Amino acid sequence: MKIYRKIALYVLLLFVGSLTVFPFLWMVATSFKSMGEVFRLPPTFTSSALFTDRMWDNYRTVLDQHNFLRYVLNSVIVAGSAALGQLFTCSLGGFAFARMKFRGKNIVFGTLLATMMIPVEVTIIPEYLLMLKLGWYNTYLPLIVPSMLVGSFGTFLFRGFFENIPSSIEEAAFIDGANPWQMFYRVFFPNAKPVSASLIIIAFMNNWNDLLRPVIYLESNRLYTATMGLMQFKGAYGAQWHLLLAASVVSVIPLIVVYISLQKYFVSGMLTSGSKG
Amino acid sequence: MRYGKVAPWLFITPTILGLVFFRIGPIIAAFLASFTSWNVFSPPQWIGTSNYVELFNSGTFWMILRNTLVFSLMYVMGVMVCGLFLAILVNNRLRAITFFRGLYYLPVITSTVAIGVVWSWILSPRFGVLPNVLADLGVHNIPSFLGDSRYALLTLVMVYIWKMSGYHMILFLAGLQNIPEEYYEAAKIDGATRWQSLRHITLPLLSSTTFFIGIIALIQSLQSFDITMAMTEGGPNYASATLSFFTYINAFVHFRMGYASAMSFVLLIIVGVITFINFYARKYWVETVD
Repeated sequence: MKIYRKIALYVLLLFVGSLTVFPFLWMVATSFKSMGEVFRLPPTFTSSALFTDRMWDNYRTVLDQHNFLRYVLNSVIVAGSAALGQLFTCSLGGFAFARMKFRGKNIVFGTLLATMMIPVEVTIIPEYLLMLKLGWYNTYLPLIVPSMLVGSFGTFLFRGFFENIPSSIEEAAFIDGANPWQMFYRVFFPNAKPVSASLIIIAFMNNWNDLLRPVIYLESNRLYTATMGLMQFKGAYGAQWHLLLAASVVSVIPLIVVYISLQKYFVSGMLTSGSKG
Repeated sequence: MRYGKVAPWLFITPTILGLVFFRIGPIIAAFLASFTSWNVFSPPQWIGTSNYVELFNSGTFWMILRNTLVFSLMYVMGVMVCGLFLAILVNNRLRAITFFRGLYYLPVITSTVAIGVVWSWILSPRFGVLPNVLADLGVHNIPSFLGDSRYALLTLVMVYIWKMSGYHMILFLAGLQNIPEEYYEAAKIDGATRWQSLRHITLPLLSSTTFFIGIIALIQSLQSFDITMAMTEGGPNYASATLSFFTYINAFVHFRMGYASAMSFVLLIIVGVITFINFYARKYWVETVD
């Protein structure tokens, strides 16, 4: 590649990168400012509180007086259980759809795919009424159970992966007398580590970021997830940008840390699912 | 039938439960509920098509339907253009390219609420950084991006496109990487310019990916509840409300479950019709390698 072209490409990459990164930097920068500095014109990037005792004041307020740590922990519980649940459901389903023959298979799988298109707004009202009937209102169950049981995307992902495993492995295990569960649990599932990692991350992220269900189902403040806590905080402290942005940083940091440490699974997971489409 | 007849059904039991209780069951229930007057606290009353009549006679509904179409159209076009641009950009073999891929994907993993908060702050009139930069550049009469009913919806779409372009970048990238390298080499030997390669090789061979992305983007745009909730709550005066947000307001703020169900069914029909047209049109514009 010619050197000029290379330089031009890097300039472009950095320019687009700065458009992506700026809001994040601005979020962090504002989170260290005092109320007065937020409303100073023209806006400045740095805060006078940086590297002084006052530096963490906004974070202290957010974490001590508003319990954001609790919200983050709640999100970990909700998103973690939903993701593990989805791993279980989707890997089992994907295995059955990929390797087993049974009557009605195509109908069930077709329904699963067709209902993928249906907006959540259509199903959420009856779902809400069902949750009220079950007495699950103001618990985590409505946040976990629906997302755990219908993972069209994950099932699709696992089905694609299991279909490509050569049947010679299956034959050998059958000769050794493996039953269907052992076949799945001992032979197929251990091979699916990359798919499992991608699914867990994507499911974790989706559930972490979900807003609709927490808004509808959670009433007690102590049950709030990080996104819900932030939403409520926005309503209550609309103009106190310094606190609001500190709260935003707290609510996004855990996910960004997970993302950076497991980045290759994110992108490869998305690539696999994309090319299957 | 080496797995027997029972095992497959045991394996898909969770999936079946999910389908019955959280997909098919609710769709049927929502359809029936759309013919009732129901406020959760008292039993539903059958009122025939009254909800639909009220809906189609409501000026707000038509305005919101228009908002929804504007939002969806701009979103779908926006993320496809930006996503493809980013994908072509990060499909270059360069050092640190995976770093840039990961970077562009960052807004996708960040919660819409946090994105909404920071963009509301950046765009906020008077003290926000963007109005100040525009003023420095000599722009006069800068509108309130979120407070002005002419710009609120537009601003929401822009922010959402900013957030989601990375997602579509990855999908396009998967498609680009499936195009055999030889095609480009052959074109190069024939003296094709980069633009000609893009126009005559990349775009035609990418058409099945483009089709898939179009549908995904459309569905995302029709479910754009989070961004509306986080930035404008539909305001001012429903100017930035879309069908999904309006459904939420009617169901969970006004507790008009029947009316909201009718609305959600209109949404479902729109999704259905567009998906159907797209699938039908597919054979006319999608080309495959073989």
